[in-house]
Amino acid sequence: MIFAALQLEFRNLLRSPLRFIALILVLGSGIFVLIKGQQDIAYWKSTITEGQKSQEESIAEARGYLSTGEAGPANRSWVNIREPHWQDYYAANRMSRIPSPLAGIAFASAESGATTIRINRFADPLLAQGNKIENPALAAAGGLDLVTVLAMLLPLLVIALGIEVGGYERAAGLLPLVRVQSGRDRSWIWARSIAVGIITAIVGGCLSLLAILMGDSDLESGMILLLLVFGYVVVWTTLLGVISQISRSPSHGAVVLGAAWIILCVLVPSIGVERSASLAADDFALDLTVESRNEASESYQIPNKELFASVLSRFPGLAEHVPEDRQSARYSAIDGLGIIALEDRMLKREARARDYRDLVARMSWWTPSLAFTSALERLAGRDPESVWNFRRSVVSAVGSRMEHAIAADWKGKPLGAQNFEDIVSSTPGEIKPLPLHWGKEFIILIVWSIGLLLFGPLVARRLGR
Amino acid sequence: MTFTLFKNELLAVFRDGRGIATLLIGFLLASISTWTSASTHARHDIAHDAAEGAARNAWNEREGDSPHSRAHYGDYVFRPAGPLSTLDSGLQAVTGRVIFTEGHRQNSAVHKPQQEAASLLRYDRLEPATVLQTLLPLILILIGFGTISSDRESGRLKLLIIQGARPLSLLLAKSLALWVIGFSICALVVGMHLIFGEEIDFSRTFLFLALHLAVLWIVAVLVVVVSARSRHSGSAAALLLSFWVISAIVLPRFAAITVTTLDPLPTRDVFQASMDQDREQGMDGHNPRDSRRQELEKEILSKYGVSSRSELPVNIGGLIMQADEEYGAQVWDKHFGGLEEHLMRQYASTGLFSLVNPLQSADRLSMAISGTGLTSHLDFLRATEEYRREMVRKLNEEDAFGVTRSEGGRMRRTTAQDFYTGFNGFDYQPLSLRVQLQKSRLDILALCVWLLGSTVLLFLTGQKIKRGGVL
Repeated sequence: MIFAALQLEFRNLLRSPLRFIALILVLGSGIFVLIKGQQDIAYWKSTITEGQKSQEESIAEARGYLSTGEAGPANRSWVNIREPHWQDYYAANRMSRIPSPLAGIAFASAESGATTIRINRFADPLLAQGNKIENPALAAAGGLDLVTVLAMLLPLLVIALGIEVGGYERAAGLLPLVRVQSGRDRSWIWARSIAVGIITAIVGGCLSLLAILMGDSDLESGMILLLLVFGYVVVWTTLLGVISQISRSPSHGAVVLGAAWIILCVLVPSIGVERSASLAADDFALDLTVESRNEASESYQIPNKELFASVLSRFPGLAEHVPEDRQSARYSAIDGLGIIALEDRMLKREARARDYRDLVARMSWWTPSLAFTSALERLAGRDPESVWNFRRSVVSAVGSRMEHAIAADWKGKPLGAQNFEDIVSSTPGEIKPLPLHWGKEFIILIVWSIGLLLFGPLVARRLGR
Repeated sequence: MTFTLFKNELLAVFRDGRGIATLLIGFLLASISTWTSASTHARHDIAHDAAEGAARNAWNEREGDSPHSRAHYGDYVFRPAGPLSTLDSGLQAVTGRVIFTEGHRQNSAVHKPQQEAASLLRYDRLEPATVLQTLLPLILILIGFGTISSDRESGRLKLLIIQGARPLSLLLAKSLALWVIGFSICALVVGMHLIFGEEIDFSRTFLFLALHLAVLWIVAVLVVVVSARSRHSGSAAALLLSFWVISAIVLPRFAAITVTTLDPLPTRDVFQASMDQDREQGMDGHNPRDSRRQELEKEILSKYGVSSRSELPVNIGGLIMQADEEYGAQVWDKHFGGLEEHLMRQYASTGLFSLVNPLQSADRLSMAISGTGLTSHLDFLRATEEYRREMVRKLNEEDAFGVTRSEGGRMRRTTAQDFYTGFNGFDYQPLSLRVQLQKSRLDILALCVWLLGSTVLLFLTGQKIKRGGVL
């Protein structure tokens, strides 16, 4: 029966210009955004390359001074490459987030933060910005990338292809005929729905395969993408099947399917956005701005005993370098307090960020569209957790820089080429994408499909009455 | 005749269970969105005032700074919500909230907390503007897609015409009935805003209402025209829902990506590098060996008729810093001015899509009226830069002239704490409504074209029914 339904749906597709146009539009827009996504990755990679170039230039300049015995550039008498501050300055390592192979599919996501950061002991990843200058008026439109095409347009394709399934048979009085010929009219409607689902899955699968090939993705990421797309199509196919069972006419079916799409793809997510706006309402980043500046100023008033105790509790390895004349070592110790404060701010900010992530996780149960979107963003490595992972790595590198600088300052000896090389080599360059977590969202899609199968007919019949 | 038909049409909606349910959902969404938006906005305002207070206290309470250190200490500027942001928050979610203003450099707006919920930012917020521009048209479509086509299917349309109902009156009555339903929801939103809102801007609120009533008229007419010209209710529903999906969801995104592709912005690195290059042509205020600085020093010495810095009655450092600052301001004006033009050019290009999408023109005009759109954002950035320049200029002047020389030539600073506490904090006055509307001429034109076009279409459809074309 499914084969017959599939033949019918393919014939319908070829006969109906509107259906065909809908399919071509989804495929065309998918291909267009995939090309845009690849351009975005190329731009991301070029940012990394440019950063590395600047890093190499700065490091080469310092190596030049160290080899010739010069202190620094001739017109900057205050520069001394043998001092910890200037070694830190010239060791201009860049830490970069390496794009995941599928990063292009979610290039329109509203990720925050930089992809490349120049490291020194005062670098602050919480306020660092990305290399992309965005037009807020265009960003507010919501973005169009493969994630949007798959999450919003693929269900519309299911609706466009299956708008008359069930409703047409019922309105034209064909169901008794189907019942006589095949035994069960419901099976025929399900078969037609599944056929529509198969055609949609082929479209989604083609776009996913294209994304995999263009991004030169690994097998695991590729399989997950395909699995998620097929899981999402299954949810919408089940929804189509359930609604088709009660659809009285094509117009009735269109309205109910349209309403379902609007509720799941527009209304429920918009409630989540409203909630996130409410969470953000009173956040003016005082901790990152006024308070952190005040803390930095107040740290100059902290007595030596307390100051050194704080620094040594964070950097116990420095204990052996503390000079007898603590007053002379005060400034670098105060710098050390800076990184302690930054780590503290990071923890608090992460806790706040977790509220938003919990919100997305909660809302994902309410609509498969959001579950699918966030799973794809994570697969693309463009989710907030990937940004936080990068920030954590940067702060860890900044901490290590700070420890080097304080130790060198407390030792009080001029630094040499080896010290400089130690700083350069101790800073990691690339931060790889996080391991893939997609299970929870896939379970949500399965739960939705099963829930629709179990409870959909009941709810639909009740609503139909 | 038209009034009787209009009354009957309204009664028909209220008699139909689906119509009542859809309407109730509309009222519910409008009430919830207005109420939650007002409460979010109130919390935002309190937090904004607290942030400003904290920054001001920090500025006032700090002691022992020289004016130059104070310029490095800087100040924080917090972006306020727009005058009508309770109804339309506009670009707030995607623009930074805080700008650090300091000597020597201009910083960007940072901190977009909602980006922590990145997946959600692909969708619209459930706020009054979304309800009125996105969901209300949909509600009108769901209520009205069969308004004429079902009459035709049941033969009622022929009966009405035979009984003497004029087709145009019929179409007008049905459009008016749909529009009144939209009007009631609009009135609820605006009424709640007037009741719960603080510091109501009546002219903006009135224009906001007028804009949405105009858009709803366009939608109501389109629904009736499509219903009248469709053979079946099913095809009318499919066509109208497609129109809604394309106008509300697909086209705005497509417009954005098309413009970004055809007219891309420079990257931050490229933008900064070209600015740095121009900046390097000026003097380096912190580098005593800088040749341009040395030239300026000579000029100042000759102006005061002395031969060395120690004989000057002023602190030359402050004068040099101000000269450096003025050059930096010129560089910023050149580059940021170019970037601003680019952003506005992109915005104008997306505006062309308003000619084919009335919901987009409504969205853009709504943001302009609410003072939460791109023009307002850029104006806020300019105002912040003006504040920074004024702050740094005062500090540099005090750095230069707030000194005395003892007989031995030693310089002593005379700056009192009052000088710092006398600084006024940043007080942003939103762009006037008139200027906002002047910058939205294309959208106003598009809306007028749609208003006129849809009404003409209604008239033409009435003529067609009269000729028996769609009976």
